Amino acid sequence: MTDQKKIAFTIDGRAVTTSAGTLVIEAAKTQGIEVPSFCYYPGLSLQAACRMCLVEVEKMPKLQTACTLVATDGMVVKTSTEQVHKARKDMIEFLLSNHPLDCPVCDKGGECELQDMTFRYGLDKTRFAEEKLHTPEQKWSPLVYYDAPRCILCFRCVRVCDEGMDVKALGVGSRGVLSVILPNKPDELACEECGMCIDICPVGALTSGTYRYQTRPWEMTYVGNPCAHCSNGCKTTLSVRNNEILRANNRDHSGINGEFLCAKGRFGYDFTSNPERIRQPLVRRNGKLEPASWEDALEEVARRLKQAHATHGPAAIGVIGSNHTTNEENYLLNRFARVTLGTNNLDHHRTADYAGLAAALGVRARDSLATMADVYNAPAVLLIGNDVTQQNPLVAWQIRTGVRHHGLQLYAINNLPSKIHRQAKIAVEVAKGGEHQALRWLATEKGQFDAKTTEALVQLKAGLEAEKDVVVLFGADIQGAAIRDLVSLTARFGGKTKFMVLGDYANSRGAADMGILPDRLPGYAHLSDSAERARFGKLWGGEISAAPGLAARAMLEAAVSGKLKALYVVGANPLKTFGVAQPDRLAGLELLVVHDMFLTETAQRADVVLPAASTYEKDGSLTNTAGEVQLTHRSIDPQGPRSDFDLLRILSHQLSMLGIGTPIRLRTPEAAFDEIRQNVAGYDLSPATLLAGGSELATATSKAPEAAYDVPVGAIFSSQDYLFTSGTLGRYCSRLTSTNEAKQTPWVSSPNTQSWWQR
Amino acid sequence: MQLPPPLETKFNELAGRYPIKRSALIPMMLYAQDQFGSLSDEILQEIATRLDLNMIQVEETLSYYSMLRRKPAGRNHIQVCTNISCMLRGGNELYKHVQKRLGIGNKEVSASGTFSLEEVECIGACTGAPAMQVNYDFYEDLDADKVDAIFEQLQDSKKPKPSAVTAGALHDRAPGEVPVISRLFGVPNSTKIDVYRKHEGYQALEKALKMTPDQIIDEVKKSNLRGRGGAGFPTGMKWSFVPKDTAKPKYILANADESEPGTCKDRPLMEMDPHQLIEGMVIAGRAVGSHQGYIYIRGEYRYILDIMDAAIAEAYANGYLGKNIQGSGFDFELVTHTGAGAYECGEESALMESLEGKRGYPRIRPPFPAVVGLYGCPTVINNAETLSTIPAILRKGGDWYASLGTPKNGGTRLYSISGHINRPGIYELPLGFPLRRMIEEVAGGMRGGKKLKAVIPGGTSCPLLSADEIDVAMDYDSVAKIGSMLGSGGTVIMDEDTCMVDVARRIMHFYAHESCGWCIPCREGTAWLQKMLDRFHEGGGREEDIPLIDELSKNMLGRTFCPLGDAAALPTISIVKKWRNEFEDHLHGKCAYNNAAELIAGAH
Repeated sequence: MTDQKKIAFTIDGRAVTTSAGTLVIEAAKTQGIEVPSFCYYPGLSLQAACRMCLVEVEKMPKLQTACTLVATDGMVVKTSTEQVHKARKDMIEFLLSNHPLDCPVCDKGGECELQDMTFRYGLDKTRFAEEKLHTPEQKWSPLVYYDAPRCILCFRCVRVCDEGMDVKALGVGSRGVLSVILPNKPDELACEECGMCIDICPVGALTSGTYRYQTRPWEMTYVGNPCAHCSNGCKTTLSVRNNEILRANNRDHSGINGEFLCAKGRFGYDFTSNPERIRQPLVRRNGKLEPASWEDALEEVARRLKQAHATHGPAAIGVIGSNHTTNEENYLLNRFARVTLGTNNLDHHRTADYAGLAAALGVRARDSLATMADVYNAPAVLLIGNDVTQQNPLVAWQIRTGVRHHGLQLYAINNLPSKIHRQAKIAVEVAKGGEHQALRWLATEKGQFDAKTTEALVQLKAGLEAEKDVVVLFGADIQGAAIRDLVSLTARFGGKTKFMVLGDYANSRGAADMGILPDRLPGYAHLSDSAERARFGKLWGGEISAAPGLAARAMLEAAVSGKLKALYVVGANPLKTFGVAQPDRLAGLELLVVHDMFLTETAQRADVVLPAASTYEKDGSLTNTAGEVQLTHRSIDPQGPRSDFDLLRILSHQLSMLGIGTPIRLRTPEAAFDEIRQNVAGYDLSPATLLAGGSELATATSKAPEAAYDVPVGAIFSSQDYLFTSGTLGRYCSRLTSTNEAKQTPWVSSPNTQSWWQR
Repeated sequence: MQLPPPLETKFNELAGRYPIKRSALIPMMLYAQDQFGSLSDEILQEIATRLDLNMIQVEETLSYYSMLRRKPAGRNHIQVCTNISCMLRGGNELYKHVQKRLGIGNKEVSASGTFSLEEVECIGACTGAPAMQVNYDFYEDLDADKVDAIFEQLQDSKKPKPSAVTAGALHDRAPGEVPVISRLFGVPNSTKIDVYRKHEGYQALEKALKMTPDQIIDEVKKSNLRGRGGAGFPTGMKWSFVPKDTAKPKYILANADESEPGTCKDRPLMEMDPHQLIEGMVIAGRAVGSHQGYIYIRGEYRYILDIMDAAIAEAYANGYLGKNIQGSGFDFELVTHTGAGAYECGEESALMESLEGKRGYPRIRPPFPAVVGLYGCPTVINNAETLSTIPAILRKGGDWYASLGTPKNGGTRLYSISGHINRPGIYELPLGFPLRRMIEEVAGGMRGGKKLKAVIPGGTSCPLLSADEIDVAMDYDSVAKIGSMLGSGGTVIMDEDTCMVDVARRIMHFYAHESCGWCIPCREGTAWLQKMLDRFHEGGGREEDIPLIDELSKNMLGRTFCPLGDAAALPTISIVKKWRNEFEDHLHGKCAYNNAAELIAGAH
C-alpha cells in the first residue's frame, strides 16, 4: 500500500516523516496522537462514514476525515483544535440520538468504544427530546445476537465478514436512519460462525450467545492462551470469573492470529465445564470402572506396570501420546517411555509429516520454516491439498488477507474444491491422492493427466517459476518421499522458499518435535544416532535402545495379537482414531491406562482412567503447526483432574520405588521447558518473548537430509476435522456443535459470490 | 423458475447488457415487479442465480430503493406527491382527499386490491403540481374532481389518459426566452429522427467526427458551459481530466436521475428531444475516446425509457450509434438504465454504484470519476441537460454559446418555475437572467396578486431567498454571491401565506427520507431534525428548539460524506435565519399562515 518514498508533514506542530501513501490517522498513531474513529479499521476497506476522525488541514476549507486523507509533503494537520473537538462532540451527539442510553444494563458496558468515546469527547447532557427508534433484538444463531437500536452502522461487521472472511453473510438493509445490518437468511445466520462480527462490533449491537448478560467485564480476569483445538495456534483470551471460563474472544489482537479467531477458538471453550468431565480417578473393579482415590489409582497403575514390565519385558509395553498435551508433557512422556519403562513403542496420532519435512530439509529447516506471518507476507503461496478454510482457518485467513492487502498470488493443487480457491490465481483440481503425482509432473512434466488439468499445471508451473519468494503449504496428502520431491522441486523457484506442514491439533507439531515417535528422539534425531541417544540417556538417567519401536497402529495390532500386554495412553483416543471398532479384540491386553478429560472410547476400555487437566488448566508450552511456540496458562483450577505433567512425574517416583527407572526431578513445566531449551535441537528459544505472551519459532530438525526417510502407509493421516469438529474434544464443546452448520457434516461454505473488493 | 416468455427474453437481454452482470439487478427486479406485482423469494433467488449473486446482495440492493417492494401493491398504485412544489399547490389536501376517497392510508392496499396508496417524494411534475402517478403514468394539474374522475375510470378497469407531456413544458415563448435546447418542445413528432434531422439534428455530430478530440473539448471549454445538475462545474474542464492513454474502457454517463425537489427539466428534454441527448453523448464519447454510454434515468420516469429506447434504435438504424459512425471509424454504443427510487443516486458516485447494481452509497473521493468511475474505469458523468446542450455548441460554436450568457456562465438553461405563480412552467432563459423578471414576467407574476415571501432558486438544496433578495442575476456566481446557489434550475416561488416552518418541515422530511444512511451526521441529523420540526410545527415547540434546529443543521454542514447533508442543512439554516419570527409565532400557538393551522389541528 505504501511505497518507499518518504514525505514530511506536520501534525499538531510535530514534524513527521513517513512513507508516502500513509493515512493521516495512522501517522497520528505513531506520534501517540489519538484520532477517534468507529468505522476506520486497519486492514479493512475505508468508509469515512462515522465522521469521528475529522481533522483540520491548513488550506482546506472543510474538516477532513483522517481515515481517508493521505499525508502529503508539507501538509499541516491539526487534531486538537476547538473546531475539531466540537465536531467530535457533535458526531457523538448525533450517534447517541437514537442509541439507548442504558449502559448499566448493556452487555457491552465497560468495554464499549461508544461509551469510551462519549466519556472522552461527548456531551454531558442530551438534547434529543424525540422518541428513539426501537426494534426488537434478533437472535441470528445460537451464537450471534443483533440489537439494531445499539448499532451505530460502522459496517465493520459487514466488512470483516465479506473482506476478511470472504463469507459475506452480513449486509446492510433499508436506508437512512432505518438502516440495519441484515443476516443472510431472514432469521438466522448461515456462515462459518467465526464470531468475528461480535469481536469487531464497537458497541453492544452484536453479542455472543455464549456469553451475553452473564457478567460485567470488570468482574473477570483475562488469560491469553493458545487455542485448544486446531494446529494453527491462535491466541484466545479466556475471560474467567469464579473459576469458570465465561468467554473466549480476541481481546487484544496480540497473538499470531492478529484479529482472527474462528468458531473453535471463540466458542469451543466449554469442554472445561462439560458435565461429562471425569473429575475423579476410575479403576476397573469386577469389570466395572469405579471411582477411586488418587492414591489407590496411582498405586494400581504403578503396581500393574511393574507387573507387566517384570513379566513380559519393556517390549510388551506401549505408550501413545497426545496431540493436545504440552511440549513439557510430551518431553516427559518421551523420557517416561524410553527410559523409565525402557520401551521405544512410543507414538501418537500423526496428522502431518513433520518428521518428513525435517528429514527432507535437514539443517535448512533452520531458516526454511514459514511462520503464520510469513504466509501473510508472502508474495506467493503454493498450497497442496488440505481444505485450509475448514482445517486451518488461520492459514486461510492469512492467505486471504495477503491477497487482499498486497496481491499475494495463491497457487493451489487439491483433490477437492475449496473456498480458498476463490482467492487462487490458479487452482488445479486433481483426483484423490493426485497431489503427489501433480508434484512429479511439475518436476518432470511426466504423468497422466487429462488435457484440462495438464493445461492448468502448465500455467501453475509457469506462474510459480516466475515468482520470487514462495511459501509452500501442505497437509497429510504429502508425506515421506513426496516431501523430498517437493523440496527438490522448489529448488527451481526464483527466490527463497519456506515450508509449513499443516497438521490437525493444538500440539500436533509439538508431539512430533518432542519425539513422540517410535524412531526419533526430541528434535528428530533418529534412534540410530548413538551420540544423541547417549546424550538423552545421560540426561534422563538411563539407557535408550537403538531399535525403533512400534508405531501406534502396530501397537494396537500387537495388542490384538497379544504381543503387547500393557498400553499407556495419554490424552488420546486411539481406539477411535485408528478405527478399532471392537475394543474387546484388545482382550490380550493386560493393562490399559488412560489419561483423559472424558470417558472416550479408549477410556471406557481402560483398567485405570486418570482424569487430566485441559490445556486451559495448566501451564506449559504448545507448538503450532508452523513451529511457533507459545505458553499456555492455568486460567482456571481443574477441580479434580491433574495435569499429565504431574501424573507422569508422580508415577515416575512411584515406579522408582518399585525399582523401575529413576524419578523425574523436574518439578514444574518451567523447569522442563528450560531442559528442553537446552537440549532439544531448534528449541533454544529466548523465554522473554514467550513470557510476554508472544511466540518464538522452533526449528527442530534432523541434522542432515535423510534420503532413506519413509513412513509406513497409514501412519500419517488427517482426521479432516472441519470448522465445527475437533477430534474427540469437539464432541464435548456443546456451543460449537449447537449451530445449524455444525449439524451438516461436513459443512460446506459455498456462497457463490465474489468478494467486495473484487466486485 | 419458469418465467413468462417476454420476461425471459428481457432477462436474457439484461444479463448480457453490462460488463458486469450485477448491473442488471435493479432493472431485473423492476421488470419482475411489473410482471408479478411484487418481489417474492422465488423470483429474487432466480435473479440471484442468473447474476451470480447471493441473496444478501440482492436483499441489500432491494431494500435500498423505495420503488422495489416485497409486498404486493394494488393493481393501481397511486403515488401522490406532497413535496414542496405540490404542497404549495394543495398536494397535502389532495393526498388527504385520496386517502378518504380510497379508504386507505399510506402504503396500504384496498380490500379489492384495485388500489394502493403511497405518499411520495418529488416525482418531477413540479410545474404540473399537484401531481400523482398511477403506476408509471403521470397525472398533473390535479384537483379533487379530476382525481375522482381518474379513480372512477380505474375502478372500471379503464385507463384514464395520462398527462400528454410534462405540464408546463408547452407554452408560448415567454419574453426573454432563448430556445436552444428546448427548441423542439411542441414540434410534432419531435422524438423522431427525421424531424430531429430536419432541425439540424446530428449535424453537430457529423462536424465533431471531423474534429480532433482536443478541438471538441476546446469548443466546449470556450462555451463556458457549466454542469446543469446543480454544482456548476465547467464541462469542458471535466472532460479534459479524462486520461488519454489508458488501456481501460471509458464511459459516458448521462445523469438523468433528476430528483431535486422543484426540478423537472430533464424529463421534457428526454420526452421531447431524445436525439439531442443521444447526439450530445456521442460527441462526448468522441471527445474523450469513449465507446460506451449509459443513460441513467430515475425509476419514476419509466415511460421515458420507451421514448429513449425508440430514439436509440433509430440512431443505430441511421448510423449515429454503433460501429463506424457515419463512416468515421468511431464506435459508440448506448444503453438506457433506470434507478428504482433514490434521490441519493443523483450524486454521481452513488449513481455509479447504483448502475453497478448496488446500494446507492456515494464513493470516497479521490479518486474522481474521470479517473476511476463506472466499473473502475475513467468516466465522464454529466447531467442530461448538460449533454443535451453539446450539439448546439458544436453546431454554432462555443463562442456563440458563451455569448448568450454572462462571463464564465455560458448559454441558456431550463428553469422549472413552480409554486405560487400564475404560469408555472419550464422556460429556457439565458444565464444571468434577472430573478425578478423570471417571477414577474416569465412566469406571469404571483398567483392571485399575493405578495412574494420566499424563493428557492434552484431546488430545495439551496438556501432560500427572501422577497427582498430577488434582484439577482440568475447565474452561478451572482447567486453564490448572495449566499445561495443556482442549483438545478428548480425555482420554487412562495407567497405571503406560506408557513415557513411547514416549508422547513417538508424539506427536512425529504432529506431524512432520502438520506442513504452511510454517514452519521446526515443519517442521524436529518432524522432528528425531521422529528423536531414535526413536533415544532404541530405546536409542541420549545424556546430552545429554535437555536437547536439551527445548530444541528450547522453540525451537519460540511461534515457529511456527500453533499446531501449540506443540502438538508442549507435551506433549514436559511429559513431559521430569515423567518425566525415564524418559528417564534408557532411557539405562541400562532400560525397565521394557510395550511399550517390546518396541519396543527389535524396532527399530520
